Parts: sequence; structure tokens; C-alpha cells
Amino acid sequence: MADVLCSDAAVRTADTLLRANGGRAVLLRLPAPAVANNDGEQLGLATPQFQDVELAPCAFRKAESTSTLLISGSAVQAIVGSLKFNSAEVLFETAAGVVVDDVLYTILSSTATTADGKAYVYSLELRAPDR
Amino acid sequence: MQNAKDTFYEMLRSRIAAANPERTIVLRGVTRPGVLVEENEFVSAVTVADCFRLRWIDASVNAENALPVATLTCEVLYETAGTAGNVGMDRGRLLTQMDAELAAALNAWPQKTAKQNYAALATGGSAAAMATNIWWSDVVLGPLVVKGDRFARTAKVTVMSCEEAGEL
Repeated sequence: MADVLCSDAAVRTADTLLRANGGRAVLLRLPAPAVANNDGEQLGLATPQFQDVELAPCAFRKAESTSTLLISGSAVQAIVGSLKFNSAEVLFETAAGVVVDDVLYTILSSTATTADGKAYVYSLELRAPDR
Repeated sequence: MQNAKDTFYEMLRSRIAAANPERTIVLRGVTRPGVLVEENEFVSAVTVADCFRLRWIDASVNAENALPVATLTCEVLYETAGTAGNVGMDRGRLLTQMDAELAAALNAWPQKTAKQNYAALATGGSAAAMATNIWWSDVVLGPLVVKGDRFARTAKVTVMSCEEAGEL
């Protein structure tokens, strides 16, 4: 019982801090599922459709080489559940990138910060497109 | 050259699938044979383990013949961390199994197949057989490379084809 309360408190605290320090929304760009036995996609002749899913609240820190995006753990878990991904890691590995202010950033890595086994914030390392 | 690359991929994928139907990967929610072409997939697919990843590197064309002959070098990259149930202690055995599957697929006779044009797939059509073949060398296995908890290897094979009129 104490564990549940502790992890819930961490999630709420993280959400509050993210809202207070930017509290912005970004879009996670996900490819549609592949078409089974579709040689066209496997040969690069057809590209999948994409859907953008909103992630909020987030805090975005832009840097020269790589940028960092902090995302609410509850927002990520809601998407993992609704889109039936196995885990947040698979979700981020599957995504084509994150759209921040109309710029598509590539996801280099994702790290979950946890309390009592429950992720309360995810940190994504992002790379801006080459100019 | 694109038709030769596409035909080679289709050939290798079908031979690997026939030799070991259990060598599959899941990409974007779909299970398929464990062979992919890096340039045709998302960047995130380049680290998929237990599958063969084709990377086209060198390319040249000898125009001295009646039909120009294109020579392409294909790297086949693969790696494995072993199985979780064995705590990865079987990664050497699994890499050897992948070596054997690749060698059997590429060194088996015939080392040629009819070239296909897959361009019509983009508009819902089907592949069309072309007049010439592609053919390839024996595969050369590179040294083992340790990548964290994975054992990896890069193999090389040379693929050749005659460039027909109008080919890219």
C-alpha cells in the first residue's frame, strides 16, 4: 500500500513540475502498422502512413547537438495502453520521431525514471534534422 | 542496379525462410522472415538482433560489354545476444547457426536467379520477370565483433547483373 502511494505521489509531483516548467505539448509521430506480406514496403517502394499522438505535459530543452525532452510518465503510459504497445521503450523505438514546433526530431535514446517500479518521467535524447 | 538489389533481397529472404521458418522478426507489428534491407527501413530497425540486415556499399558498372555489367557489394550484418532463458550463454552457438544459414542460402547452387522488376508494386501491380539473371559470389564471413552483450558479424557477397535497357 505504501509503495502504491509513493509511486502515485511521484507521478503527480512530476506532472505538476512539468506543467509549472513549460508544460508544453509535443507530437509523437508513429508509423501505421506494416502490411503483412507487402513486398512494396520491404523494398522501399511504399512508405507507411503516419499518425501524430500528443504527449503532454512535457518540458523541452534545446541544445546545440542534442536536445532533451522530459515527458510525463502518466501521459506515456496512457498511450502505451491505448495503442497496445508492450512497453514505453518499444513505443519510442517504433516512433519515427517527435514533432516539436513543426520540426521532426529523431529519438536517440529514452530513459525512464522510476519510483517503486513505476515510471514517473521519461527523458528522450533528441537530435534535430540536418540542415 | 535497383532491380538487382531487389531481386537479391527477395531471393535471400525466401531461402532463409525456407531453411529456418522460425527466423522471424516483428517490425511495425508484423511478423516477417528475419531478413531486411537497411535502406528500406526506419533507422530504428538497424539494431534488430537475430536477423540478417543487408547494406549495399560499393557499386560499379563495366560498360565494355554489349550489356553493361553492374557489380554490387552487399554487406550482410547480423548479431545475437543469445536467448534470455540461457542468460545469453548460447550467443556463440546462435551466431554459428546464423553463419550456417547464411552460407547455405548464398553458397547453394544455383548462385543465380532471374532478375525481377518490382516497380509495379508501388501502384498495386506485380513483379515482372526480366530477360537477364543476377548472379553472386560465395559469401565471405568477417571476424566476430563483440558489441556489448551481443556477438556480431559482417559478411560480404558480390552481386552482379547485366544492365538492361532502361534500367536505373
